[in-house]
Amino acid sequence: MTGKTEEDRMFQEDAPVAPELGNHAQLLETLARADVARLKALAETLLPSLPAPEILKSGTGLVMLPMRDTVQGTDFHLGEVLVAEAHLRLPSGTEGYGMVIGRDLERAMAMAVVDAAAQENVQSDRIADFLSEEAADIAARDRDTLRAVEATRVEMETF
Amino acid sequence: MAYVATRGGERAIAQAERLYREDLGPVDRDRVTAIARSLPWLVDRVMGEASLYEPELAALALAQTGGDLYEAVLLLRAWRTTQPRLAIAQPVTQDRLFTLRRISAAFKDIPGGQILGPTLDYSHRILATGVLEDQPLTPAPVQKADHPAPPHHPSLAAWQKAQGLVADPPREEVAPDAIPDLTREPLLFPAPRAHRLQSLARADSGGVLALGYSAMRGYGNAHPTVNELRLAEAELRVRHPRGTVFSAGRVKISQAEVAAKNGGTRIRLGFAATLGWNEVKVISAATLDLNAAGAAKGAPTEEEFFLYHTEPVEASGFCIHFKLPHYVTFQSSLDAMRDAKAGGAATTETGPPAGCSDRSGDSAGASAAAALPDPVEPIRETTE
Repeated sequence: MTGKTEEDRMFQEDAPVAPELGNHAQLLETLARADVARLKALAETLLPSLPAPEILKSGTGLVMLPMRDTVQGTDFHLGEVLVAEAHLRLPSGTEGYGMVIGRDLERAMAMAVVDAAAQENVQSDRIADFLSEEAADIAARDRDTLRAVEATRVEMETF
Repeated sequence: MAYVATRGGERAIAQAERLYREDLGPVDRDRVTAIARSLPWLVDRVMGEASLYEPELAALALAQTGGDLYEAVLLLRAWRTTQPRLAIAQPVTQDRLFTLRRISAAFKDIPGGQILGPTLDYSHRILATGVLEDQPLTPAPVQKADHPAPPHHPSLAAWQKAQGLVADPPREEVAPDAIPDLTREPLLFPAPRAHRLQSLARADSGGVLALGYSAMRGYGNAHPTVNELRLAEAELRVRHPRGTVFSAGRVKISQAEVAAKNGGTRIRLGFAATLGWNEVKVISAATLDLNAAGAAKGAPTEEEFFLYHTEPVEASGFCIHFKLPHYVTFQSSLDAMRDAKAGGAATTETGPPAGCSDRSGDSAGASAAAALPDPVEPIRETTE
C-alpha cells in the first residue's frame, strides 16, 4: 500500500489467512481454537475411515510459559499452563498429535485424530471445509473483540 | 529448639473441619461455574499467585476454601505437583501479544495509540445497592468501532530504545530449557534476573503492593511513572512431534513497564508481568524491579527483602504456623525469663534488672524484645 510508513505496517492488522491442509501450523492452531463440539464431531466421523491407532499419550500436564522482559531482554518463566495432550500413531507410522489449553482429554484426542487423518489424506475435503469454516469463525470472533477494543481508543488532551 | 509431636484432639480436629465446611455448604459444579463466570479478576489473581493457569481449577480452589485466597493458592500449588511437565513453550514477546488494553501515563502519543480496553479507571465507584432491591446491574453493550484495533503492538520500551531514550543492552540468547526456573532450583542472591521476574510473577498481590507502595511513597530511590501497562492474551506456542511450532491456545497475561529519570539523558525502566490480569500487582512489582539496583540492605526495595517476603505460600504458611502448638518453645522462654527474674531478685531488692519488665502481663513481649538482634539480621526460626 502506498504512503504507509514502517510504523503503520508495524501495527497493521493481520490479514486473515485461510488455513491450508499443507500448512501444518495453521491446521494445528485452527484445531486448537475450533469449536469443541464440532471438533469432536469431526473426529468421530473420521475415526471409522482410519485404521485403529496406537495411543501413545493421553493426559493432562504442564507447559511452562516463558516471556521476554522488555527492559533487558531476559527470558523468564511467567508460570505454568495446564494442557491436555494426546499423541497417537497409525499402523503406517503417521503420528497424530493434539495439545490444547485446559483439561479436556477428548478435545486433545480429537485434534490428534484430525491431525493424523489430514496427513493420511483421509476425507481431505471434509477436513478442508471444517478448517476454513472454523478459521473464519475464529477470525470473526477476534475481529469482534478488537472492534470493541478499538471503541476504547482514547486521544488525551493536556491543557 | 525442635518441634515436638502432640497427641490427642483427633475428634475436635475432625469436627473443626466439619464446622468450617458446614458453613460453606455443598460445593458443586454450578458453584464453580458461577465463580469462574462472575469473578474473573479474582480467578486471575489466584492463577497468577499459584503460577498455574487453569481458570476452572482456580474457581474450584476458591469454592472449596470459601474464598480464603492463601488456602486457594496453596491448594493449586500442591495440585500442580501432581502434574508432569510436558514442555517449555516458546518465549512470549510483546509484539505477538493479542492486546486488549495498552496505555502509557508517561507518553501521551505512543505509537499505536492509547487503548483503554476493559477498565474502571475513569468510572465512578458507587456501590450499586439497587441490585439488592431487585434492580439488576445490567451492563450496556459496547458500541463497537467499525474497524478492529490492531491486535499486535511492540513494547513501548522497543520504541524508546530505537529513539535512544532507553539503554539497549545486548541480550543473551538462552534456550527455553536453560532459563533459570524457581520450580526446579532455589532462590539464591544476588538472583538471576530470570529468577527475580519469575518470583514477582508468582508473588502475593498484596505483598508486592505493600512493598511497591512503600517505594512509591518515598522509601525507594525512584518514583515510577507507568511507561506502558498492557492486558493481553499470549499464545502458548508448543512443538508438534514433527517439529511444527503451533499455538495450543491463549492465556491472559498482564505486564507493566515503569519509568524513572536516570539522572542523565536516559530513562530507567522496571518491568514485571504475571499470568492473568492483575494491574496493581504488575505496576507494584515493576516498581520494585526499578528500585532494586543499589537498594540498601534490609530496605523494602532490596531484591532479597522483597522476593523473600512476597512469596505467598511461604509467607502465609509461616504466619499460620504460629497458630500451631508452640508450647515447648514458649515454655522455654518463660523458664529463661523466670530464671532471669530469680537471679535479679537475688542480686538486688531495689528494682528489676535491665531488660526485664516489671509488668508481668507483658513479660514475654519484653523478653522477646530483649532478644531481638540487629534489624539487619532478622530472626530466623529455621531450626524449629
